[in-house]
Amino acid sequence: MARASIKKPSTFAQYRTLLAKDLRREFRTKEMLTAMGIYALLVLVVYGAALSQTSNQFDILQMAAGLLWALVVFTSLLGLNRSFAHEQENACLEGILLVPLDRSVVFLAKATSNLIFLVVVEIVVLPLFYFFFLTTTQPADTWPLIWLPLLVGTVGIAGIGTLLATITVNSRGKDVLLAVLFIPLVFPLLYACVAASTVVLAGGDVEGVFGNSLLLAGGYDVVMVLLSWVLYDYVISA
Amino acid sequence: MGKDGYRSPQTGGVLDRIAPVVTLIGALLSTAGFVLAFTLAGPVNGATVNGVEVIGGEMVSNQLLFSQKIFYFHMPVAVTSMVMIGFVAYFGIRFLQTRDAAWDERARIAAGIALLFVLATMFTGEMWERFEWGVWWTWEPRLTTYFILMLLVFAYFVMRASFDEPERRATFASVYGIVMFIDVPITFAITRIVPSSVHPTIFRTDSGLSPDMLLPLLLSLFGMLCIAYGLFRLRLRAQELDERVEHIKEQLDEA
Amino acid sequence: MNPILEQIYATILPSAPFVIAAYALVWLALLVYVVFVTVRLKRTEAQVTALEEALAHRQTDETASVLKKD
Repeated sequence: MARASIKKPSTFAQYRTLLAKDLRREFRTKEMLTAMGIYALLVLVVYGAALSQTSNQFDILQMAAGLLWALVVFTSLLGLNRSFAHEQENACLEGILLVPLDRSVVFLAKATSNLIFLVVVEIVVLPLFYFFFLTTTQPADTWPLIWLPLLVGTVGIAGIGTLLATITVNSRGKDVLLAVLFIPLVFPLLYACVAASTVVLAGGDVEGVFGNSLLLAGGYDVVMVLLSWVLYDYVISA
Repeated sequence: MGKDGYRSPQTGGVLDRIAPVVTLIGALLSTAGFVLAFTLAGPVNGATVNGVEVIGGEMVSNQLLFSQKIFYFHMPVAVTSMVMIGFVAYFGIRFLQTRDAAWDERARIAAGIALLFVLATMFTGEMWERFEWGVWWTWEPRLTTYFILMLLVFAYFVMRASFDEPERRATFASVYGIVMFIDVPITFAITRIVPSSVHPTIFRTDSGLSPDMLLPLLLSLFGMLCIAYGLFRLRLRAQELDERVEHIKEQLDEA
Repeated sequence: MNPILEQIYATILPSAPFVIAAYALVWLALLVYVVFVTVRLKRTEAQVTALEEALAHRQTDETASVLKKD
């Protein structure tokens, strides 16, 4: 008689199921993606109002990277705020905590899902940004490299953002608190990524500044994701 | 006695007996540093002047900068705020290990003093830079780092204010304290290494420190550190006293 | 003061207020913190005296109730 034995699922299996849960729920309801997409579009409208009256000698290229990153940060803030909304409603978080898994896997799954949503929104918004603002200008020929700082930056944002989102999900005034906590922390990453993207867009010594800032941004990502991984157990079970 | 022989930190021990003496030493050291900064330390050379003059037996051929004198309090206060942020992280780690509210109390007080010294750094930096570059604000690496540090400490207190259960507040505050401590050196490194393409970082004349400048600097540095220690112990004991009074009040109400 | 000396010392006078302001602000910040701590201490002191009064009332009530009983 076969002994009934339950094989403890490997952490990678747990990670995959948690990630699948997030993605499946999102692709069914699509509420987070639409919210972030529309929000990004609205930010573009605000940029339009802000920049339409500028005279045509105004070189938008120098500012393009900065504007783009401001857009990414605020959209990700919106996304991060809602990332734990579902867990909160139907006590799903308590359910996950009951499962005997290493709590940091929850962090990894949630960070990955946030990363995926952010990348999807960026893929939609980047051409729109180009269409609205950069058609008249002539970006440097290295512009396709822009995806590298975008990726490194988004990984950092998703990593540290998920940790802070878990903290603020059960506090009063949570979206304000998330912004207050998130922006000073992510400043160095933002600073490095904007520098890298400006060099790529507006042309500059690519090897020097671009290489340096990407290396630093990558270092920031590694340090912050590791730190979040270690501290996540305390945060989610508080 | 805790479970594994862990003893929760007490006030009133030797650390507190030496506190008033340390504060006094701090006051003396920083005033000595202050006085020497204006007397012993040589002036820093500014822009060159077309002509040479003999002053005090030396051939002087450039402007003597007076605004650099702010440096002798600016740097010590900045280092002290860094040390206090380090303590906030240390207390945070200790709290996460032991879940003892006393550590969280120390983290909160250390963060208060860190905020005090960060504000002092911003004041002095602002004054110095206002004269030297004539601008109220530039995104120069050092200033940006301290501006971010100030925002981080504000965020730390905003977060403490938005949680009611002490256990949860303390855990999140310790986590944020640790992350804050890791974030500051990164900000310092990134703002210095990534040259802002818009305008180059402005080189200050204070990098080379001659021995006669070093003495007042070190004096006021240790002075500031002792003062910070004294303030920390003072605030801690006042807080402890407050809690004991609350405790007595509860007992009285029950009886 | 020949012109060269004037130039050499040109920055001293205009920069003086800033230097003074910087040191004054640091001193002020420390002072504000110490005042903040002493204010809290006074509040605790007031509470201690209130407690003592409450304790004193409790003693008198107990003695009164004891006298009434026998």
